[in-house]
Amino acid sequence: MAVSIAHRVAGDGLAIVGAMALVWWLVAAASGPGHYAYFQSWAGSPLGYIVMIGLTWAFFQHLFSGLRHLVLDIGAGYELKTNRTFSILVFVLAIAVTAAIWCWLLVEKL
Amino acid sequence: MGNGTPIGRVRGLGSAKTGVHHWVLQRFTAVGNLLLVLWLIFSILQMPGLDYVSVTSWIAQPLVAVPMMLMLVSIFWHLKLGLQVLIEDYIHEDGLKFAVVMLLNFYALGGAALGIFAIAKIAFTGGAA
Repeated sequence: MAVSIAHRVAGDGLAIVGAMALVWWLVAAASGPGHYAYFQSWAGSPLGYIVMIGLTWAFFQHLFSGLRHLVLDIGAGYELKTNRTFSILVFVLAIAVTAAIWCWLLVEKL
Repeated sequence: MGNGTPIGRVRGLGSAKTGVHHWVLQRFTAVGNLLLVLWLIFSILQMPGLDYVSVTSWIAQPLVAVPMMLMLVSIFWHLKLGLQVLIEDYIHEDGLKFAVVMLLNFYALGGAALGIFAIAKIAFTGGAA
């Protein structure tokens, strides 16, 4: 149940915050250096990092539980033990990939 | 609503009253998002910098601009389908449901159009130049 709720929460976050941030980034880049600098001042702020790290987690949480749904769609993975393992794996993988990406970014770019 | 065969009972039930087409499109766009957003994330991780010149000259390339436009179609289509299910599950009053689904359609089409226009402008005006 938790993995299903997390799928919706992560999906809503991506749909509203994620999609708006993506469009803002593109519109800022299309509007010239001044607008882009303003976007960067937000993206580079502590709040910007919290939002970007949150969106990274939401994306991979939604991706892995989405893959789980595709497996369930073909009628596989309904055995209690398998289902439980997949559910836990979704949370573990999402956190692991988010941590890996941001550790890599912090080491490489800063 | 059918009252004979099981399939007849299934048709017309559920909070949305319809669904197979929606269900299939949600999966098509899910796979689209999987491929295109992963491409965006790996591209961003490999870029030398995320400053104005690096980003606009990257987006201006045809093999970046086109996948990016397709990504916006896939993302906004998928989020429209997903949020619609959410609305249908939690809003039970017909008039309000109609209004909120309408707003969702405006958001999805408007957001996709704005994003695609921004990419086109960057591409056709040659990026940073």
